[in-house]
Amino acid sequence: MLLRGTLGVLLTLVIVAAFVPPIVSQPQSWYEFPLIPGLEEKARIIFFHVPTAWLSVMAFVTSMFYGIRYLRKRDMMDDLRSSSAAGLGLLFCILATVTGAIWAKFNWGSFWNWDPRETSIFVLLLIYGAYFSLRSAVEVEEKRATLSSVYSIIAAVTVPFFIFIMPRIMTGLHPGAKGDPDGAGPVIDFKMSLNMRVVFFASLIAFTLLFIWMFNLRVRAARLEYRHQLKG
Amino acid sequence: MEFLAEHQLYIVMIIVVGIWLGLFAYLFRLEGRIRKLEKETDRES
Repeated sequence: MLLRGTLGVLLTLVIVAAFVPPIVSQPQSWYEFPLIPGLEEKARIIFFHVPTAWLSVMAFVTSMFYGIRYLRKRDMMDDLRSSSAAGLGLLFCILATVTGAIWAKFNWGSFWNWDPRETSIFVLLLIYGAYFSLRSAVEVEEKRATLSSVYSIIAAVTVPFFIFIMPRIMTGLHPGAKGDPDGAGPVIDFKMSLNMRVVFFASLIAFTLLFIWMFNLRVRAARLEYRHQLKG
Repeated sequence: MEFLAEHQLYIVMIIVVGIWLGLFAYLFRLEGRIRKLEKETDRES
């Protein structure tokens, strides 16, 4: 109850705080956001688009964690947790791609440009799409669990490379890329003012709580389904 | 499109609505799965 209550209040505050403060070139008050050249009002996307990408990373790491646990303990619940996390990761990966594409249309001129960031998230979508193809292709339960656990570990190892490394070492248009006029590095370090950072990290926390809740619901449903299968 | 290029705040709104729709679709599907389980459990008992 505490988790859901905090989530409800925090996410509401984040949505309000993301839209209400005016963006001005010379912020005078604590509630004004600075103007980031080239981004203007579109800069507000960072409070929603980045947390979805963050959640996909977290979900993929969670999937790997339970994958390892399954291989050690051979508990079917861990396999259910691992696949549930991967499913949520794929959902947030798709959301990050779609929201990024809408933003790209107005910042770069087209929905898809094969920018390094776009290419890397596309590869991630393929990797985790293949995870579910693998799961649906194997009928024997233990074999499916073992194979997909191993796959989830290998897949999660590639995630930091595609999300954090490749888009930053290659020249691209995405904020934080090497070709970014203000230099390479995470966009949050040098472009966001203190008040933007507060909203941004509040948003990260809120989305993380949302992930914990959704993951919990999904695992409970999967557990019921599994028990039901065992009975029938 | 021209309207959106001029009023960029709406782009962010579309993005937030998109995220909300994605989450809603996921929860909707999850509820469907739970409902199916409920029905089967009711039939058995």
